[in-house]
Amino acid sequence: MTFSTGFLGILIYGSLVWCAISAIGLSAFLVKDLVRGEVW
Amino acid sequence: MSEADALLPPNVGWALLAAFSLLWIGLGVYWGRRNKSFEDHALAGRNIGLALGTATAAATWITSNTTMLAPQFALQLGVWGMLAYSTASFGLLLFAPMAGRIRALMPHGYTSGDFFRLRYGRGAWGIFLVFTLFYSLTWLVSMAMAGGILLNALSGIPYAWGMTVILGVCVAYTMRGGLAAVIGTDFIQSLIIIVGIVIVGFAVLSHVSIAEIHANLSAERPALLDMLFPAAIMAIFNNLLFGLGEVFHNNVWWSRAFAYRDGVGGKAFALGGLVWFPVLIAAGFIALASGALNVAVPASDMVGPLVVAQVLGEAGAVAIFVIVFCSLASSIDSLLAATSDLLTEDIYRRMFRPAATPARLKSMAQYVTLALGVFTWAVCLPRIGTLASVLFFAGPLVGAMIWPIVTGLYWRRANSAGAVGGMLLGAGAGLACYFAIGFYVGALVATAVSMVWVLACARLSKSRFDWAKLKETA
Repeated sequence: MTFSTGFLGILIYGSLVWCAISAIGLSAFLVKDLVRGEVW
Repeated sequence: MSEADALLPPNVGWALLAAFSLLWIGLGVYWGRRNKSFEDHALAGRNIGLALGTATAAATWITSNTTMLAPQFALQLGVWGMLAYSTASFGLLLFAPMAGRIRALMPHGYTSGDFFRLRYGRGAWGIFLVFTLFYSLTWLVSMAMAGGILLNALSGIPYAWGMTVILGVCVAYTMRGGLAAVIGTDFIQSLIIIVGIVIVGFAVLSHVSIAEIHANLSAERPALLDMLFPAAIMAIFNNLLFGLGEVFHNNVWWSRAFAYRDGVGGKAFALGGLVWFPVLIAAGFIALASGALNVAVPASDMVGPLVVAQVLGEAGAVAIFVIVFCSLASSIDSLLAATSDLLTEDIYRRMFRPAATPARLKSMAQYVTLALGVFTWAVCLPRIGTLASVLFFAGPLVGAMIWPIVTGLYWRRANSAGAVGGMLLGAGAGLACYFAIGFYVGALVATAVSMVWVLACARLSKSRFDWAKLKETA
């Protein structure tokens, strides 16, 4: 039994998109904290 | 490695190194201006918000091992190898609820050593300090050494110079800015690493399709696609337990639990784990593409940079250089800060100068950071080789500390006999199996033996711990 092309595609593209969303999310959190004066 | 073999010309490497060094030191000096006491320096005023808290949890866990070893793992253990390494994120996810409880139980705490001293007494505290300092110093030395080796391989910068610069820069901004500088730079470094990995990943996929990668692996290295690859499945459990032990005990994570604003710790660690989880796969798959791209890989630990540089040219090599530099800095600075806090709070203050003023403790922490930097530099200078095996040697030590910490945080009946016995018996059995069987069972056996002893002692115990004892104020 081997991992299929479809599974490999979902794994790789999924992780890259997940990383991109993480970067956007971190930036959004920072803006939100800055607006509220809660960065540190 | 000679300059001719490097992926970048040395002058480009030096220019990048200088630019980022100036940026980190400048930010460290700027952010350090507000630090007046040891609490400001060591815990950034205990007021870190969600954005910086999430980023620093993820960035500290993204070491050079993450960005360099992930492709190597993928090349050796295939798809399961990438997934196995990703399980280290479970350490952050499972630490999330503990971080909230630590903050609630110890509102005035500074270090994980404080917890052992107050919860289990001086015997367990001493054992904990020996174990954690061995682990932390080994990790620190291995990161600094990796810095010199990687900068040399990527740009031809001589090992001694590369190691000295990266260590010196981290010492400078950590000394000046304390945890605030570490966490602030971690935010920028985490964004650079994640965005860099996304750009490099999509750029590689523009040169080769998933179908081509799969076809090449099926023909040339089918084991890497095997769903029942035994060695890779074993690696999942070993990585998982090693990761749990590392996060649960180390002051790198405890200092953040103390530094986050009330209510932030749990969310920040959980989100940090989620941010970290895909990084290994996104960085690791590049190695699986090496065959389809016809990239020769003379050394498996350089497979990631080789593939990126060959496919994307000098721009790719610059991206890898920056990603690796940020990965190294985000871990070295955290280790310097957390280990210096541990030595200042647990050794200097608790053993020798209980009446030291906050300002005196702050300057002592800065001197200790400098001393740690000098010690690390002196150990790394001869380039004795890789310390990976020594780091794995620490696996049984950290595995043996999981149960004393978890039960000590949640069970009133957990006691000193359980903690001391669990750590010593677990570490002893784990080390015996490490030498008799192999590195991959050390943490597993240590955790299991420690668990049996700690649970048995708690079951038989008649004492009940008073949680108020953890609220020590000075």
